[in-house]
Amino acid sequence: MEKTIESGDLLDVKDLYVNFYTYAGVVEAIDGVSLLLKQGETLGLVGETGCGKSVTSLSIIVLVPPPGTIEKGDILLNAGDKAINLLKQNDRTLMNIRGKDISMVFQDPRGALNPVYTVTQQVGEALLLHRREEMCKRVLQNLERDIPEANTLKRFIYNCEKKIYEKMMNKPKSPSLRTLSKIPIINRYQGRLRNEIRKEVVELLRIMKIADPERVVDMYPHELSGGMAQRVVIAMALSCNPRLLLADEPTTNLDVTIQAQILLLIRELKEKMKSSILYVTHDLGVVAEICDRVAVMYAGNVVEVADTFTIFKKPSHPYTQDLLAAIPRPGKEFKSIRGEVPALISPPKGCRYHPRCSKAMPTCALVKPQVAEIEKGHLVMCHLYKR
Amino acid sequence: MKAKSESPTIKELKFVITRIKKSPLSIAGIAIIGFFVAIALLAPILARVPEGQDNPYRLPRSGWFSEPQPPSPEHLFGTAQWQYDIYYGCIWGTRTAFRIGIIVVAGNLIIGLLVGTLGGYYGGIIDELLMRGTDIVWAFPGLLLAMAFVTVMGPSLDSIVLALILVGWPSYARVIRSEIFRVKQEDYVEAAKAVGCSDFRVITKHILINAIYPIVIMASLDTGAIVLSAAALSFLGLGPPPGYADWGQMISLSRGFIYKNAQDPLGYWFTWTYPGVFIFTFVLGWNLLGDAFRDILDPTLRRR
Amino acid sequence: MGMRAYIIRRLLLLIPTIIGVTLLIFSVVQVLSPEQRAALYITSEQQADDIDAIIEKYHLRDPVYIQYFVWITQVLQGNLGYNVKSPSGRVLQNIINRAPATIELTIIAAPVIILSGIALGVTSAVHRDKLIDHVTRVTSIIGWSFPSFWLGILLLAIFYAALGWVGPGRLNPDASVFIITPPFTRYTKLNTIDGLLNGQLWITVDALKHLILPVASLTVQSIALIVRVMRSSMLEALTKGYIVSARAKGLGQKEVINKHARRNALIPVVTLAGMLSAGLLTGVVITETIFSIPGLGSYAAHMALPPPDIAGVLGFTLFTGVLFVIVNLIVDVAYAYIDPRIRLG
Repeated sequence: MEKTIESGDLLDVKDLYVNFYTYAGVVEAIDGVSLLLKQGETLGLVGETGCGKSVTSLSIIVLVPPPGTIEKGDILLNAGDKAINLLKQNDRTLMNIRGKDISMVFQDPRGALNPVYTVTQQVGEALLLHRREEMCKRVLQNLERDIPEANTLKRFIYNCEKKIYEKMMNKPKSPSLRTLSKIPIINRYQGRLRNEIRKEVVELLRIMKIADPERVVDMYPHELSGGMAQRVVIAMALSCNPRLLLADEPTTNLDVTIQAQILLLIRELKEKMKSSILYVTHDLGVVAEICDRVAVMYAGNVVEVADTFTIFKKPSHPYTQDLLAAIPRPGKEFKSIRGEVPALISPPKGCRYHPRCSKAMPTCALVKPQVAEIEKGHLVMCHLYKR
Repeated sequence: MKAKSESPTIKELKFVITRIKKSPLSIAGIAIIGFFVAIALLAPILARVPEGQDNPYRLPRSGWFSEPQPPSPEHLFGTAQWQYDIYYGCIWGTRTAFRIGIIVVAGNLIIGLLVGTLGGYYGGIIDELLMRGTDIVWAFPGLLLAMAFVTVMGPSLDSIVLALILVGWPSYARVIRSEIFRVKQEDYVEAAKAVGCSDFRVITKHILINAIYPIVIMASLDTGAIVLSAAALSFLGLGPPPGYADWGQMISLSRGFIYKNAQDPLGYWFTWTYPGVFIFTFVLGWNLLGDAFRDILDPTLRRR
Repeated sequence: MGMRAYIIRRLLLLIPTIIGVTLLIFSVVQVLSPEQRAALYITSEQQADDIDAIIEKYHLRDPVYIQYFVWITQVLQGNLGYNVKSPSGRVLQNIINRAPATIELTIIAAPVIILSGIALGVTSAVHRDKLIDHVTRVTSIIGWSFPSFWLGILLLAIFYAALGWVGPGRLNPDASVFIITPPFTRYTKLNTIDGLLNGQLWITVDALKHLILPVASLTVQSIALIVRVMRSSMLEALTKGYIVSARAKGLGQKEVINKHARRNALIPVVTLAGMLSAGLLTGVVITETIFSIPGLGSYAAHMALPPPDIAGVLGFTLFTGVLFVIVNLIVDVAYAYIDPRIRLG
């Protein structure tokens, strides 16, 4: 059966199950998650540590680390005229989608950067993969400009370079090019492409509001501050104008002031680039600031989805209510949620929240609740609400 | 839940045991070492010391003929050059191997502890001097330095043991020093100092007790490598004289007997096969054991 | 700090290290009596009658620091003493004569160790817990436990005694005669290269054939060591965040392993290089002895056998010690090149 996606939607995650096979047993990390992301919107994915937020975002880019395995489900990506099911694609196709259509920003910016390569090398990698043609075109333009002014010898060299770059544009994987790139002296022609990429990386860093980008491009990750490193990682993710940005707690490890700057940056960039964002966080304050809609996760389930305003004004799932009550606010009583997050190796039967829920009923411990749409666009997975 | 009632130590022990059970290699290691311990303990029964011989480590010989004789009921593994009994040598050589391993490890540990503790506890210029010295010995190819030591001391088993002690301690000193640097920062050491404990008491009672555990494990797992080094020196002719129950020496004795004649090229196979199998298996056992423990104790490999 | 500043600093550090190494070697010999130490400088039998004159000349009864100073001055002038055993003569000359055989052996062994060790380690880690990983791990632990002298004997027994493929030594008897007979010129004293330079390909082939078994027995243990370290550091590198982030950029599994994981995983292996060169220098002593290769290793073993030739053993230890310090310097520079974080230091 052909799966379809509506034109206004960008990404449709349907009934996703992910298990981790560990020594201790099978961890059911994602237990039937469905999510819908519209074009151009920011969806917040909220929940406590270990509820499966990160795994969900890694599933969308199909990079769940072993021993994790995607058991079943569909992840549909809107590709203009048709829907692509990401879980049914081969590695080649996925490599073309990753970084170009979907890219990711990670929680630990330092960990996400390879310590032995400079900023240009790492950001440039994405450009080389997905924007090679554009870069080559720029090189050719420069050559066109230089050729008329050059003397005979240089003109000859430039013409050779032009031929090589034309070939690189049309047939980037041809064996003759690969051989050429390994011959010393002759492979100097690559310098032009490298220059072009470096220029583009500087430009990207400038957009990220990094001071002195000319110097920063040649730095190694250990020379960057945490905030700078995160800006570089975001630059890396946005370098190819992705349609979907997965932001996995991008501000969690940063100072509060830098956090605010990065949030502002993401919001500006989103407006400029018209990307959709899946913003994973445990911080409800951040959600209020940046998200259009919110999905609340608990122990591998999405328990409630609604627009941000509704979630804060009219939380319907008991977990969402408890979560909101647990935010310390001046003049209000602070209530923590009783009990602890269950180990997903032996999750509670029925509704996974029932051992901690103040409104639990007998059925809650037996039957897994269905998702009910209580208002338009407001989904809740709880026995309190009838379908 | 049941798991919660157990103390962390028991839990840890259980974890180690389950990991050992799951790894066939570590079981093989334990079995091999157990086997050799049994041989060493039962040596007087397995290979009777001839009557009238007071040193059990001298191989009994049946004649002075220089050509090795193939295995026979009297000589299970055959005889080496000058009719030394190979079976007897292999069995009693096990004791020699354990003796070398234990003495060298203990020696390394003592010097390493002394240097590492002094440097680590006092720090400053003492530490700087000790560590520079340690680095130089540590950086030098150990076996070559040991060879030089044995040469000037005169070849013998004791020289080998002493030489291996003299070149082997730096790695212990380095580990102990860094352990002590770590433990020194702990609160209870500060507290002990604050109530006026003497330096000696602080070092022995409070620091060493806490630092020694990983080092002892490390030391015991070094045995394989040490026995291998000793055997290599013995093989080069720097060990005990011919006729001593030492595996390396026995292989050295067999070097002239790789090729017999055109009809029977491998006619002397038994001279180098048996002692070689003993050394190899012994070292393999220790290395398997060491490998298993490293895997189990290495926190980075534990997750999964 | 740039690469150049780092190298200069490392070069300056070389001086105290070499002083330390020479002190260490010097102190080993202090166990002996002045008369025994005088043997170092005996050049002829006539001189042997007048030990006191030698003791006097080289200050062997003076305080230790004067002795060290006298000794190190002699060493710096190229006087490492005189061999009494065959070959007799200046130790330095004997070492230089013996070096080519050892250079030939180690120059082939080192790349074999590094390349195969890294390749096997990476393969093992990438296919973790698959059949190829299990086979590599078991083989490497066996190789690691294999006494190299026993391996040499087994190889000789199989390929020389039983199969008759290739014998000990550097060349077959007829080839050995051929290379010392004019018009064959020994330009480099490395038989493999001299064969090519003289247009005698069969000499090169024969020399290479004779190198196979020694190289095998010399490399097995070190390969096993690299495989183990490379495997575990590769496994660690593969869990790092930058691996996922590189994949998220759109790189393929193979590119990520080759470009991102391997380079990081190499860092711990580079620190092993010092240990490896120590292993090579030690292994050469045993291997050359077994395969009767007239190199530095068999020279040292011969000099150490009782009655020992102190000058020979001391000279060899000094030579390898200094060589080793230089190798470590190169390793450190390579380390800084691979890991940019070191240069800051």
